[in-house]
Amino acid sequence: MNVIETKNLTKSYAGFTAVSGINLHIPKGSVYGFLGPNGAGKSTTMKMFLGLSKPTDGSFTVDGKMYPENRVQILKEIGSFIEAPAFYGNLSGEENLEIIRRILGLPKSSVAEALEIVGLTQFKKRLAKKYSLGMKQRLGLAGALIGKPPILILDEPTNGLDPVGIHEIRTLIRSLPEKFNCTVLVSSHLLSEIELMADIIGILNHGHLLFEGTPGQLKFAAASKGCPTDNLEDIFLALIDADNRQRGTV
Amino acid sequence: MSVSLEWKKVKRTGFLPAFFGGGTLAAIVPIINMAVRPERYLNQQGSPVQILLDANWQMMAMLNVLLIVAGTCLLYHTEYADNAMQKLKSLPVRESSVFLGKAVLTILMSFFVLVIEAVAVAFCTFHWFGIEKGFFSELCRCFGYSLLLMLPCVILSLLISEACKNMWVSLGIGVVCVFTATMLPTTNFVLSLFPFAMPFQVFAGADVAKSMHYIYGAIAELAVCSLAQLLFVKVRRGFE
Amino acid sequence: MSLLTLVGVEVGKIRRSKILLILAAAAVILWIPSILNAELNFGMQAEGISPENNFFIQGFMGMAWFMFPASMVVGTVLLSQTERANKGILKMLALPVSTARLCIAKFVVLLSLAATQILMMTGMYYISAVISSGTQDYSFVLPPLFVLREISLIFLSAIPMIAFFWMLSVCIQTPVFSIGIGLASIVPSVLLINTKVWFAYPMSYPLFVITSEYGKLAANLDTAQVELIPWIPVATLIAILCLGISCLRFGQAERR
Repeated sequence: MNVIETKNLTKSYAGFTAVSGINLHIPKGSVYGFLGPNGAGKSTTMKMFLGLSKPTDGSFTVDGKMYPENRVQILKEIGSFIEAPAFYGNLSGEENLEIIRRILGLPKSSVAEALEIVGLTQFKKRLAKKYSLGMKQRLGLAGALIGKPPILILDEPTNGLDPVGIHEIRTLIRSLPEKFNCTVLVSSHLLSEIELMADIIGILNHGHLLFEGTPGQLKFAAASKGCPTDNLEDIFLALIDADNRQRGTV
Repeated sequence: MSVSLEWKKVKRTGFLPAFFGGGTLAAIVPIINMAVRPERYLNQQGSPVQILLDANWQMMAMLNVLLIVAGTCLLYHTEYADNAMQKLKSLPVRESSVFLGKAVLTILMSFFVLVIEAVAVAFCTFHWFGIEKGFFSELCRCFGYSLLLMLPCVILSLLISEACKNMWVSLGIGVVCVFTATMLPTTNFVLSLFPFAMPFQVFAGADVAKSMHYIYGAIAELAVCSLAQLLFVKVRRGFE
Repeated sequence: MSLLTLVGVEVGKIRRSKILLILAAAAVILWIPSILNAELNFGMQAEGISPENNFFIQGFMGMAWFMFPASMVVGTVLLSQTERANKGILKMLALPVSTARLCIAKFVVLLSLAATQILMMTGMYYISAVISSGTQDYSFVLPPLFVLREISLIFLSAIPMIAFFWMLSVCIQTPVFSIGIGLASIVPSVLLINTKVWFAYPMSYPLFVITSEYGKLAANLDTAQVELIPWIPVATLIAILCLGISCLRFGQAERR
């Protein structure tokens, strides 16, 4: 069963199409890796799921619910982390989460839990504007994980983290479906990273979905096109390169 | 150089249209006033410029000062909002020269606003009173005086904006200062030297000595505010 | 999710914003000249108003004319900038809250800022009345019930104005325009209260109300009195319209 499904989802701005008729299928309980170079349309797609951006064409369902009719119901099920962390600089990390907790109507303990999960407990009293980049990132993650939502949408969650942090977050994301019984949509521009986390991979370039399937299927597809198959990173680069060539952008 | 840079930075912030709109709004005041009740002013003694300014300057000056407060807030808001200030501090440019650039820009815009207002006053004179000999020199003197008396207000509100990272704090302080200025009696010389109160003064043609006192006052305040800015930058560096 | 919780959340967001300090500073500065010039209140025979009433009403007229509306403009800047500064609004929009409710909750916070400032004004009024009573050897202190009635009138009459300012800050993304229009719209209110169409201009309501109170207290003054029709229907309409537009537009700019 698919938790998120899109049908010809399109987003165009004046004179440029960010997302062009993509059909995604994100099965329940999986970690879906959303892959693509900078500006491929990953964030735009994720923003559309959250109602932060209006689709110009096509539609999508989240857990069988349609946007925009069921906006609030959809958002109730999603924990999200989009782009540069969004927070209130004048509040401490704890207070920032407290705001989210009260809006979601979660028990008081959930703030401490979320802080613990991302490892911010010792910095919880510090003002968010004084946080380092990595700490802001963790705060954003905590805001997504709080209350263990059934669907998680994470946009480049490991940006700005140190290697230890990256490893921690990856392990965490990998363990989420099992631990909280949730579905994760995670984006990255690094295939090596997605490879370690995702059950299913979707590759986006210039707003087009080039591939959707398991890492094994990706290797198979690459081999049939005559691309190198020993390393997923190379497959990814070759795929993007071939697509760019076809479009005449390179 | 830094003025043209500042000019570029205010692109799309609404800074220029705001000054244009504000100036136009203030310029409409005397025109409406004359159009609604000309009989009240036509019989008054004195030169037309004097009559028009006496009748309308309080409100026009209020709009001017509010415009300066809002404009200067915005100038530094663009620096602080997306942390451009930090980048700026790491570049080989002195904060004081940035300040100077912003000050010159605001003063140019204030000049522009006063020109719009002067045109409105000239129009009113032409339409209702008739332009007499010596009118333009009087007009220039009056508005030149107003520009000079506005300068301390520009510098001080710019300094407030530089000191506060959050726009509502600098705007709040600015608003409180403008309010204080409206409470101060304009007849008391010492109190009306308050930088935000000075733009409310009208050039008194008859009492040149009094006007000269205000001019000296304005120059002294300019010097003090500029020194304060230099000092402020030094002190803040020490704390960061 | 009740509106009350949401309001609580919104109040939490303006922590450490120093807004109370600014509101308090305004209230203090407003009353200082009144204390210093307290003896002027004895020379109001021409108007026929008692010194204690004059002391009270002059201060509140000063507030209603510029300080109070301008503080509300500052309040709208505070509310919109805290959301926009670090993209807090994006997180809010991605949470399961209706945007209209969020908008109303913020408006309620703005109203409570208004109430706070009026209460600060009242507190400062009592302090300065007691001080002036000491310096002038004459009791300037008015009964609390009367004061409460007057300040409630100011607050209620200010609601459409605050709704208008809120609409400005929601609909106009460029801060200098929303601030500029807000501040500039205050200035003409002093002219408009003398015209017949004052009821169409929400920024003049608080000043009009307090001026007409002044007329009631001063035996020899003949200021215009509040006529509930057409004022109340027009004011309600303006308030509902402004709030409705704000609720519709709220968060739209971030949701392109």
